[in-house]
This record gives sequence, structure tokens and C-alpha cells, in this order.
Amino acid sequence: MATYETTEQAEHVFGTLFRILIEDETFSSRLRETGLTVRLVHKKPDCTIFVSPDEVLIGDEAPADSSITIKMSCETAHKLWMGTLMMPTAVATGKVRIRGKVSKVLEFVPILQPAFDRYPEIAASSGAAA
Amino acid sequence: MSIIEQPPELNFDDFPPEVRQFQEVVREFAREEVAPRALELDQEAHDHFAWDLVRKGHAIGLTRAMLPREQGGLGVGVVGACVAMEELAAACPGVALIFGATMLGQAPVLLSGDNELTARFLPQFSGEEPVLACNAVCEEEAGTDLVIPQNTRYARNVTTIRRDGDEYVINGHKRVITNAAVANFSAVFANVEGSSPESGLTCVMVPLDTPGVTRGPVSDKMGYRACLGSELTFEDVRVPVGNLVGGEGEGLDILVAQGNMARSSVAAVSTGVARHALETAVEFCGERVQGGAPLREHQMTARKLAEMTSKVDAARLLYLYAANKVDNALPAPEYEPAVAKFFADRIAIEVAGDAVSLMGSRGFIREFGLEKVLRDSYGARIYEGTPEALAIAITDCLYRGDDFDDDDDL
Repeated sequence: MATYETTEQAEHVFGTLFRILIEDETFSSRLRETGLTVRLVHKKPDCTIFVSPDEVLIGDEAPADSSITIKMSCETAHKLWMGTLMMPTAVATGKVRIRGKVSKVLEFVPILQPAFDRYPEIAASSGAAA
Repeated sequence: MSIIEQPPELNFDDFPPEVRQFQEVVREFAREEVAPRALELDQEAHDHFAWDLVRKGHAIGLTRAMLPREQGGLGVGVVGACVAMEELAAACPGVALIFGATMLGQAPVLLSGDNELTARFLPQFSGEEPVLACNAVCEEEAGTDLVIPQNTRYARNVTTIRRDGDEYVINGHKRVITNAAVANFSAVFANVEGSSPESGLTCVMVPLDTPGVTRGPVSDKMGYRACLGSELTFEDVRVPVGNLVGGEGEGLDILVAQGNMARSSVAAVSTGVARHALETAVEFCGERVQGGAPLREHQMTARKLAEMTSKVDAARLLYLYAANKVDNALPAPEYEPAVAKFFADRIAIEVAGDAVSLMGSRGFIREFGLEKVLRDSYGARIYEGTPEALAIAITDCLYRGDDFDDDDDL
């Protein structure tokens, strides 16, 4: 059984997650300093999230352009945020695909901890399968 | 062949400021410190190592060029690393590979995204004293069999790794590992006991002062003599489980990603070797008079020089194009770096050979330095993928689509 059954469910969970992140001063100030915007394209089901220092836009509201595009399935996203899938594997096997300045993406990985901490509860509360 | 969406524009005549500045610094270092000693280093004993030169390279950032700025690095990306490699290799590719192999050893830690691993292994490159790393893959019976996925199932008697409580235990033997004699740590690729390397290859970071690690004899090489290639033996070497990069069995994926990231920089090394040969030949052919005219005015010589310079320029454009794509995509593309290396490795040998022939006896006598360049030109064929292995990888890419848009594979 897939972790995410509907686009709405995925948008709720991942949208909430990134709203938590932009409220984290470390994360939002870093985004602002680097001038980065991130477009997360989730598949199976479709769920697009756009993140800038000031806002999170979801679905049709998400602009088409961004400085970084990250693409993965919702299942892969779930495993990454749960810590059951290692990033090297996900990237090396093409389960996570990134277009944009790679060095900037690598700089962000260490400051995603607030999202890692909250993800299990957010996913569970939305009914996403464990 | 997949031509994916175009990466951000790279102006080949005007790099980003941090890249251009780094290139200029490295160019000066290569010209003032490395080139004057290249012949001397080539003729030293095979196990001689110029730490004083490494210390100067460390001081200008060559040991941390690709590390992110927040980890004390220069953050110049693969493009920056490549232009630095070309400058160094134009003086001495052996010196270039000392720093290139260090970047290779750092790569698994960078790819891991593991804060704890990063904190333990990367800050040392920002210290006062130079620190080097290495990447231990090749073995007596497994070279290309551990480099391309298509061959991994045939790899035999690979170094093993097994879990024992809170530690991993490593046993085996690696050979011709650049920097193994002088590095602080190594990324080691070992196979989970009882597994086929196709599914069991695992990457683990090993400090080389760990009990059970023995640094073996240094190989007496044909070229690249400024860097040391030697053996590493592991006898019940124990490392914390936290030293694993990714998980058990994920080593092949890391190796492939690492190779895709590194190949454009190796192409840059070959381009530097070819450039050295070209510049030497150009100077000579402009001055040497035979048949009443400088050599360069003779048509056969002019044709050779034209071919040589075209090859060097093409190799440079290919590696820059590949490096820019690597800097702007994860996973790193496979096709462009493989093509860049496949081409540059070949033309380095061709251009060096042509230069030797243009210079007559001076190309054959050691003191003029060109016979060293010819010997060095063969080096890059051996590491990060032989032409035979790259041909398989490139051909596979010709029959694949654009991976980024292939949602079925997500």
C-alpha cells in the first residue's frame, strides 16, 4: 500500500513540513542569503511544492521557475524524511533527481533537521501509512 | 544520447569570479612552484614525495577546493576543480593527481549528506597542516570489475566487510591507490561477506592510522611519478558503524556517482598534459629553422600543429561542458563526463606523440622534458575508467532517454 494515496494528502504533509522550515530562522535566512528558491516535484501522486524564504506555494500556485528543482516520488520522500532511506542511495540510484546548483543543495542538507524531527507526527496525523 | 535541459549558461571566456580567481592562483602556483621542479620530481626515487610542494598547494586551497564554504572549503564546484587540474597538469600531472585523489576520497562524505560523518572527516582540510585523502577501489583481481556496474558481478576475491556489534571489520588488499602512502584517511570499497559485489559492495571511511592498516610498497610507475601509488592491506581493521557511507550494499551506487562526478576533472588533467605538449611544440616550431624557414611554415608541420591545437581546445570545451552539467545536476550525469574523459585521454597521447616527433632528438632526450610528458600522457587511461570501460558506459547512454523526466523509474 502506498504511503500517500492522494495529491491532497501529500500536499498537506509536505506543505506543512516546509512551512515549518521557513519559520526556522536558520533555514529561511540561509535561503535569503543565497537567493535560492526550491521547487519540489513529487510524483505518485503528483504534488508540487515551491519554497522561497517568505512563502510556501503548493500545486497550481507553485511557479514553474526556481533556482533548484528536486524530483522524487512521494514514497521516496517519505522514506527520506523517516530516515529509512539514505540520501547517497537515493541520489545515486536516481530516486532523487536535482537540477540547479548542486553545491547549494549540499549546503542545505545539514539544516533540514527541524523537518526531520516533525515529519513522523505530521505524516501520521494526516493518515499517511507508516 | 540524452541531451537534458540546458544547464545554466557557462561563459567559457569568463568564468564565475570565484572560479576565475582560483584558476589564476593555481596557474601561478603551477608556473612558479610546480613547473620548475617537474623534471626533478620525475627523476626522483619512486617513493619520494614532495611534502613541501603539497604544503604550498594546501595553502592556496587545493585540498579543499570542492568542499562547501560552510565546511571550510572554497566551494568552486567541479568547474573550479577542473580548471585547477588543467593548470596543475600542464606543469605536472602527478602533482595534479595528489590533489585530485584527495577530492575523490572526500567525495563519498560529501555525497552522504551525513552531518556526523562530515564533521569528523572534513574539517581537517582547513587546518594549517596539509591533509590528504585517497579512494581505495582497485584490487589484484578486480580493476574495471569494480568500476563499471556491468562488470561487478564478475569481481572476485574482493576486500570484505562484516558487521560485528558497533563496528565493521575489514579484511583485504588494495593496490596502486594514489595517496595511500601519505593520506590521513581513505574511502574504502569492500564487499559484505557472503555477498556478490553486485549487491554487497559497501563504502566505508577508514582512518589510515587504524590498527590493522598497513601501507604497502609504492609502485615504480612509468609516469605521474610525483604522486605515489601504493598498496593498502586491511587485517581485521575495525571502524565504527557510523563510518559507513549510506548503507550496506550501497557502495556500487556511490562508486558510480563518484566516477560521474570525477571524470570531467580527469579529462581536465589529460587536457593539461596535451596543452603542455602543444605549447612546447609551438615554441619549438616557431624558432627551429630547417629548409630555410621556421618549421611552422612547412605545410606538414602546420597541419600537425593545427590538429594538435584543435584537439586540445576540443578537449577543454568537452570537460567544461561536462563539469558544468555535473555542477548543476544530481545524480551527476554519466554521458558527458565519460565522453570528455574518453576523448581527452586519447588526444593527450596523440598530441604528446606528435610533439615528440616535431621536436626530433629533443623530444627523445630527458633534459628537454617532453619524453616525460609522453610517458605521463598514458596515465589517465588507467584510472577512473579505461577507454574500454567508458565505451560501454557511453554506448549504454546512447540507448537511454532523459533520466530526469522518466517518472516510471522514480
